[in-house]
Amino acid sequence: MNKNDQTLIGCIVIICLLFIVTLNHSDHNVAVVYYKNEIIKKIDLSLDDIKEYQVNGENGIVTLEVNRGRIRVKDENSPLHLCSKQGYISKSTESIVCLPNKIVIQIEQNNDIDTVVK
Amino acid sequence: MQRKLNYVIWIAIPILLILFVIFYFCTKNVENTFTKNLFYMDTYIYIKIENQSKEKAEEAFQHIEQIYQEYHQLADRYQAYDGINNLYTIHYNTDPSETLTLDPRLYQMLTFGKEWYVISNGKIDISMGNIIDVWKQYRTTQTGVPTLEELTLNDTGSIKDIVLLENNQIQNTHPNIDLGAIAKGYATEKVGEYLESIGITNYIINAGGNVKVGTPYQKEKYAIGIEDPNSQSGDIFKVVYGQNISVVTSGGYERYYEYNGQKYHHIIDPDTNMPSNWMKSVTIITKDSSLGDILSTLLFLLPIEEGQEFIKQFDAEAIWYTNEDTIITSEGIEIYEQK
Repeated sequence: MNKNDQTLIGCIVIICLLFIVTLNHSDHNVAVVYYKNEIIKKIDLSLDDIKEYQVNGENGIVTLEVNRGRIRVKDENSPLHLCSKQGYISKSTESIVCLPNKIVIQIEQNNDIDTVVK
Repeated sequence: MQRKLNYVIWIAIPILLILFVIFYFCTKNVENTFTKNLFYMDTYIYIKIENQSKEKAEEAFQHIEQIYQEYHQLADRYQAYDGINNLYTIHYNTDPSETLTLDPRLYQMLTFGKEWYVISNGKIDISMGNIIDVWKQYRTTQTGVPTLEELTLNDTGSIKDIVLLENNQIQNTHPNIDLGAIAKGYATEKVGEYLESIGITNYIINAGGNVKVGTPYQKEKYAIGIEDPNSQSGDIFKVVYGQNISVVTSGGYERYYEYNGQKYHHIIDPDTNMPSNWMKSVTIITKDSSLGDILSTLLFLLPIEEGQEFIKQFDAEAIWYTNEDTIITSEGIEIYEQK
């Protein structure tokens, strides 16, 4: 195996990896917001570029910001502001927990929702 | 030895990756899913067919468009079409004969409407065309609100004026009929029946407030999100799961106009001739789309407690979104809450 072979194989590997990354990234997701185990809001993260939402937490209003498929807690009232410091989440394995406000945000894959009745 | 291992790694990794990508495409992207958008009955209609050949899906879409178009024409109150008697011609025809012969499908819908007048104690009233016209005129021009006097003056329709005879005939008394609570659900149900009849079971029909689904391909249940009536951007407040079900929502938040800070929507209570304001929306889950459509309109017109009692006699569940932004569900809703 010479240098050219290695370059070729390397390229194939990189293309495949890029492919897999983009494929997994293209599914748009829904953020589910819980207050004390109860779902209070579902936000389709694919709908808007940048948008703010407000929900009621234990210590008052919690402001959420959606930004290109990601969501974060922008503002909330708590001693340590842990959940607003956490920043954005976007994958179904991630979540934000605002313990003082009893708010939890989880991401579920949007292929969970097939259609919307309005 | 080192060199041999090197070879194995250099060859094996790309092969595995390529296989993975091919596998991904085989299972996910090449699943033969086809979609179609239509516009009939004032509604965007979206149809998705999974796991079919392109030819069969295209053929189905053509036929589905025909079904919606025909029901649209039959239930059209503002325009006549060549060769058919529809709601417009029933109202405005100058035919001197005592009876008109209707398309069996229109006759069926009128029969259904008259039956539901009785079942609903007069809350479902297809003879309210005049009142609907008054409200529609104000809604499109946004010039104000009809006075009580104007509404009473136009409250001349009566279900008794719709006299159905044998052999698809109706007495030619020129009633102003409105099938707004019936036609869309009826057509959607027919589309579902048609798809099943040609062996297409993996489908979604979304006609705005009317969703009907078959059985999904490669999973057990379809997930249907219900839109939050307060949301400007299509947020979902609840998801229900099921196969072979219809999910129908009635609400005042899609079609309305504002005057003096007050919202006036399109679902009119026959007892008051005014838009009904017991709740923000109600959603019905049941097998049959035409039943779902009429139940959702009826429950929207009833106080929530009355609706809760009423729906018990049907194989149907309901989700109310109250004016206070709380959510009330009927007792058997759990079966639609599990994924």
